[in-house]
Amino acid sequence: MILLTIVWAERKIAARVQMRVGPLHVSPRLGGYFQLIADAVRFVMQEVIITVDSYRVLFVALPPLFVALALMPSFMVPLSPYLALLSRPSLHYGIIMALAVLFYLFIIVVGMGWAVNNRFAYIGAAREALIITAYEIPLLDAFASMFLTYKTIDPIEIVAKQTYIVGALYNPLAFIVYIIGVAMATSRFPFEIADYEGDVATGPYSDFSSIFLALTYAGGIYIALFSYSLLGALVFLGGWAPIAPGPWPADLWGNLAAAAWVMIKTFILMLFFVFLRSVMPVARLDHTLSFSWRWVLAIAVAATAVSAVEYFLL
Amino acid sequence: MGLKMEQYGMVLSEVESGPGGKRTLELLFGPQHPTSGHIRFFVELDGDIIVDIRPDPGFVHRTMEKLGETRHFMMNIPLFERLSLPDAINVTWAYSMAVERMLGYDVSERAEYLRTLFGEMSRISVHLYDLALHAIMIGSSTGFMYGFGLRDLLVNLWAIATGARTTPTWVLPGGVRRAPPKAFYERLAGFLDFLDRKMDEFYRLVVKNPVGYYRLKDVGYLSKSDAAAYLATGPGARGSGVDWDARRDMPYGVYKQLEWEVRVHDEGDSLARTLVRIEEVREAARIIRQLLKAMPMDGPLVGHNATHKIPPKEREMLNELVRMSGYYVTTTNLAEGTGVTEGGRGRYFFQVFGAGTERLFRVRISTPSWQNLRAFMKATIGARLMDLPAIYGSFGFFPPEADR
Amino acid sequence: MAGQKVGEAIRAVLDVIGLGLKYTLRPERLTIYYPYEVPDYMGRVRGWIGLWTERCTSCMICARICPTNAIKMYMEKNGRRYPGIDYGRCIMCHYCIDACPTYALYPTDMRDLAFYRHEDMMYTPDMMRKPPQVPKLVPQVVKVVHEYSRGRVVKVRLGEPGEHKPLPPAPSVPVVES
Repeated sequence: MILLTIVWAERKIAARVQMRVGPLHVSPRLGGYFQLIADAVRFVMQEVIITVDSYRVLFVALPPLFVALALMPSFMVPLSPYLALLSRPSLHYGIIMALAVLFYLFIIVVGMGWAVNNRFAYIGAAREALIITAYEIPLLDAFASMFLTYKTIDPIEIVAKQTYIVGALYNPLAFIVYIIGVAMATSRFPFEIADYEGDVATGPYSDFSSIFLALTYAGGIYIALFSYSLLGALVFLGGWAPIAPGPWPADLWGNLAAAAWVMIKTFILMLFFVFLRSVMPVARLDHTLSFSWRWVLAIAVAATAVSAVEYFLL
Repeated sequence: MGLKMEQYGMVLSEVESGPGGKRTLELLFGPQHPTSGHIRFFVELDGDIIVDIRPDPGFVHRTMEKLGETRHFMMNIPLFERLSLPDAINVTWAYSMAVERMLGYDVSERAEYLRTLFGEMSRISVHLYDLALHAIMIGSSTGFMYGFGLRDLLVNLWAIATGARTTPTWVLPGGVRRAPPKAFYERLAGFLDFLDRKMDEFYRLVVKNPVGYYRLKDVGYLSKSDAAAYLATGPGARGSGVDWDARRDMPYGVYKQLEWEVRVHDEGDSLARTLVRIEEVREAARIIRQLLKAMPMDGPLVGHNATHKIPPKEREMLNELVRMSGYYVTTTNLAEGTGVTEGGRGRYFFQVFGAGTERLFRVRISTPSWQNLRAFMKATIGARLMDLPAIYGSFGFFPPEADR
Repeated sequence: MAGQKVGEAIRAVLDVIGLGLKYTLRPERLTIYYPYEVPDYMGRVRGWIGLWTERCTSCMICARICPTNAIKMYMEKNGRRYPGIDYGRCIMCHYCIDACPTYALYPTDMRDLAFYRHEDMMYTPDMMRKPPQVPKLVPQVVKVVHEYSRGRVVKVRLGEPGEHKPLPPAPSVPVVES
């Protein structure tokens, strides 16, 4: 459901900026909302082509693994004080586990590039391997600064500490680093470098068709974006911290309302990333790496310094 | 069907070049590629740097020069228009100039003004097309939609004036074919205001945006002496400091009577070429505004020599429509004629040799993309793989025009 | 110009994001919802070509000047040949209309034609008397035109397009009524 909405939103926002109308024909009264279902039906009906000289096992097995690994982190973090899939001792480390799983996604993408076995996929996979060095450390640093600020790594306590002043206001530098890092991680413009259609013809995803493409390029990336945004909503945007003073009522409806509030914040974050598609061209690989290692790392270190100051002040 | 993996997969060829050979990856940047156009490049990569690039043109070769010899010379006008459809007026203008010089025809004053007006519109059209393709090759699909959306408005104006959106078939040797209606001039003025605002936004979105800026800066450097030596033309040359423009240096039309400037930038990289294009759009809008004030609204659409051939009963409608009847019975002289115009991508050169019958003996065409190919190769060597689309778009390389 | 400074770069990025937000909230759409809306070309666009056989003298100038050799002459029952157009080859340049000395060929402004079979595209002279009746795709069609007011583009609806009628081949030449 979220996938449907976010892809629809991406196309519509891009269309509005670009002086045109996005998908409209499939369900005109809803503004073309069900276009993605039509696309998914078409993807499923398409012939499944497995190229002759790809590594078959990897070719077939990696896309579902990509989706699974992209979705797993969102199960590891809680949605409200009592709605969580993990129980207390391991929930404590929820965010760390989620981050660890998300950082493994790039191996799967490199694996897909290797499995496809053509020159462009090789270049795309090499680029993906280079990009991970660009965003891994700053993103970890951003989260580490937030952990310093809150003095805890437990997601439930993190959210409990944010009321009106959300994490982004505590440490805006960390928020900026987070946004740039997630844009690099999920191949959002301006950093859509590994699967760049202009140059490497969608790189690692190039020989996939039908259900594989739907799983990876059209679906998996957005699911990874959802997981990252969920983490960001919890840590930076206040999670389920209510606007009106007082805690949420502790019954089922209260928890569901809290979960819905978290979902709304996640969705806003995702909308921003998707909006970037329509205004930004794509940066070059070596520019991205040098930008990341010079500027983003500097901002991340500054964010950690700010957090250290706040650790002693608060 | 059993292709072995060693044959089809990666190719790493050892190229010995003295002590310590290079290992390069040969990439076929072929026609089946989102940003390569209708041409194949054999790109040799060393890591991320392009070591050598060999183009393989000829996919879209349509034997236009030979076809020009097999038909009545008037039937060549729709043919040569399809060399470069976004720039249809400037291409057929060059051909018409060549035929006029061969036949000894003159052009009426109203036709000169109209041709200049439509030539500048054609320049805006092709610059919008090239900038849009360049933007999407860099990655900004917004720039692409802006360019083509604006071009759609312009093409609707052409439909009212000449009869078809993208294939006007409007320039004849001696004049033009149809006169535009009054509504055309009003809509054109409104379009120019909208165009100015949107081009400014395009500039902010794609070029001034630091992501796009650094994508274009210092990329594909072509020095001034190289640009002159390789005979680059159009924005490819003017972006490197070579100050040549056929509108000023080999004058035609009414450009001499208008106030405009040739835009030249000195840096020689993709950014300079893209800026030359954007500024030329503004200059074209400026020229059109001056022309709208000075345009004669009445008068014959063809010159005197062409009028003599037209039957008397059709001479009354010469202010609105020129029919083919006079041209059908015209035969070519045993002479030659050349025509040079400055299209958006560079200069078009036509040379025609008459045969004495209604067919031409030979048509020689030189298009800007073909001229720029050598300079494009020189500019690409040493750049990174991700710069190839940026340089390709900044030269405005258009394979159907290069292959004729 | 030299490379951008940091402040300039940050301002440019914020400017671009602001621009995108402005258009997301107040978009300026150019799209024409074909086939519910059709653009208005004031009847001047070059479309389907028809023939009035009573004016034709079988001189074959139209067939000779066609750039794509789309015109063939067909023998009719009265022993004379009349032109028929192959719309698979026709590029609608209207050279044939402009070359006909007796104004026998006439233009229309109908450009939107589609055929199921290739054989249907070859029109014989008896099929060219009246413009073809195209079944309506949608019940309501509106003509639109883009107008510019206060620097913005608006789409103005102009009413229903009429039926496609034969147009005069040249100014002040009468149309054959039948």
